[in-house]
Amino acid sequence: MNSIIALSLFGIANLFLGFLNNRKILLPATLAFVLVALGLNLADWNQEYLWFNNMLRTNNLSVNFASVILVATFLVVAVSRGFGDDEEHTHPAEYYAIMLFSVVGAIMMVTFENLIMLFVGLEILSVSMYILTGTDKRNLRSNEAALKYFLMGAFATGILLFGIALIYGATGSFNIHGIEALVLTAAGGSAPALLYIGIVMVIIGLLFKVSAAPFHFWTPDVYEGAPAIFTAFMSTVVKTAGFAALFRLLGGAFTGVYGTWIYILYFLTMLTLIIGNITAVYQQSFKRMLAYSSISHAGYLMLTATAKVAHTQSSILFYSLAYSVATISAFAVLMVVAETKESNAEKTNENFDIFNGLAKNNPLLAFVLTVSMLSLAGIPLTAGFWGKFFIFSDAFQRGIVVPLVVAVLMSAVGIYYYFKAIISAYFKEGDVPAIELKPIYKITLIVTTLLTIVLGIAPDLVKSIF
Amino acid sequence: MVSDFGYILLFIITAVTFCAVALGGAFMLRPNRPNIEKLSTYESGEAPDGNASVRFNIRFYIIALLFVLFDVELVFLFPWATVFGNKILIEETDGVWGWFALSEMFIFIGILTLGLAYAWVKGYLDWARPVVKNSNYQSKIPASAYEKINQKY
Amino acid sequence: MQQMQQIPDVIKLIPLNFYVLFSSALFCIGIVGVLTRRNAIIIFMSVELMLNAVNLLLAAFSSYRADPSGQIFVFFIMAVAAAEVAVGLAIIVMIYRNIQTIDVGILNKLKW
Repeated sequence: MNSIIALSLFGIANLFLGFLNNRKILLPATLAFVLVALGLNLADWNQEYLWFNNMLRTNNLSVNFASVILVATFLVVAVSRGFGDDEEHTHPAEYYAIMLFSVVGAIMMVTFENLIMLFVGLEILSVSMYILTGTDKRNLRSNEAALKYFLMGAFATGILLFGIALIYGATGSFNIHGIEALVLTAAGGSAPALLYIGIVMVIIGLLFKVSAAPFHFWTPDVYEGAPAIFTAFMSTVVKTAGFAALFRLLGGAFTGVYGTWIYILYFLTMLTLIIGNITAVYQQSFKRMLAYSSISHAGYLMLTATAKVAHTQSSILFYSLAYSVATISAFAVLMVVAETKESNAEKTNENFDIFNGLAKNNPLLAFVLTVSMLSLAGIPLTAGFWGKFFIFSDAFQRGIVVPLVVAVLMSAVGIYYYFKAIISAYFKEGDVPAIELKPIYKITLIVTTLLTIVLGIAPDLVKSIF
Repeated sequence: MVSDFGYILLFIITAVTFCAVALGGAFMLRPNRPNIEKLSTYESGEAPDGNASVRFNIRFYIIALLFVLFDVELVFLFPWATVFGNKILIEETDGVWGWFALSEMFIFIGILTLGLAYAWVKGYLDWARPVVKNSNYQSKIPASAYEKINQKY
Repeated sequence: MQQMQQIPDVIKLIPLNFYVLFSSALFCIGIVGVLTRRNAIIIFMSVELMLNAVNLLLAAFSSYRADPSGQIFVFFIMAVAAAEVAVGLAIIVMIYRNIQTIDVGILNKLKW
């Protein structure tokens, strides 16, 4: 839990590092900060603690989720680039500081024991993301994405809060274990209607944040408008934290009234899978395709987040890790290619054809892109395959057949649009000049690719820890 | 017996009646002869100029934003104040409680101050003055000519 | 101090159901405002109305249950809402500087 305090202080330190007029120091400093936080986080391993008057709880589950979040943050920070050139209009110190602050919020969302902390963590994360979405100040698309994200996010927060207030009215407690006990007693007899309405509203508020259908309308716009580096951050860290919070509520506090929400969630899962995958097929823009793919991955995660079975959490964790690593490498390749084309004064649009002929001069980048696409599609020998496999086998054991069939069919649809990127990289004519990669960038890409392959061959390396 | 909210209703009725009687009476008694001067907006004797809905300068806005942020954080001082002076707690801990609570609050305020210091160093507290451009107009008449006239009169 | 003790009693003069209905009405007005208006500032005001409905509801529940944690939550909501206001207005001003309007309908670079 010291990682929260440390990260807050590091964020402030990062803000003041910005005054040094030395932009070279920021990236290594931020990486070191994240590593220290990861170390502090792992120090809580195998200990069950309550912190700050029962506000936060650390246990192995929360340590695992926080570790996935911190690893994703580390990778995103490592591939961040392009802040250093434009002196006047970029503020890298602030961006890194806000990223660190938002990780504080994400960790609070996985460790919360009290709904107050869930709310505060969610808001720290969301408000940081509103700012990061709008960082490209003179780009109208970025502005519009920020405004849309902000209005939708604030709206979702309102719904979540009203739900929390109703639950408080029905149970008289914000503590999730207190709520769990009261919900269990209420489930037997006459629970007040307030409780059921409150639970549904809290679930809706959280589904908004993880962009599940039918609350997904902001996602493609925001992902497309935001600078690519922050889109990568958003689609990994925010999603992992949101699902951790959803899982802790559904699997813990709300299990007593299983019957009220389980069928709604099955229906929404199928809707999310169908909308995410089918719409992704029609996208011309690679970034927008990744946005819809993130919606569909939210669907797969929802399939398993509805259960309170001990091995479900390891499935969620493994899937989040596989998805985060693959997404970050896909965005990293997109960023570096788009930047090169831009510096050659070509018109860039982040469409699929930006990768045309990538394999000719940049075999490494093409390979990284291929592995990440294969992993997202769930092809064997990649981490994504095992992620999907664990989730499907969990669903099969729990006997939820209809959503499972939909999920399997939709993952077959997914293969089509992920392969579009691979095809344009290897088989289409085009000229991407040989791209010189900075060492840290190259190392990060190799690490993410290796991680995807190693986890694809030996998933138990990580799965046994979770 | 009137209930508590009955008093509020009575209060509202009284207020409405008072306004109606005072304004309505004046309306019936006074002569009604308007002219442009009388109908114009009263602005402390100045002649009104321009539209009322002018846009404020952007720098007011930044100051207001900073004010709102630091002002609202003070809401956390209220719950703190109720336990800070708690006699029972102070007696139980031999006065240590007071120092503990006080130092905690100073840590909180200190973090806020860091934020303020950041805004200060970044220059958001500076009042952005318009830069006066010096004219580079070269007059054909030498400056001494003006001085002569000034001395003469 | 004597006056302070009485505030929960004054709140309890009105039945709890009235508070729930009133807050729900305020909340619904906020939702309708968000969904129907096109001006960013007014949407934002509607969101604030939703948050204040929540605050009222929490304060009422908190008094009825004689449990201060609900009121503490209200403090958190107020502080966080202020931070949100700051960020939101900054975003709106940023857009205004670029396109000189805050009508959400004008922003159609990205499809809804």
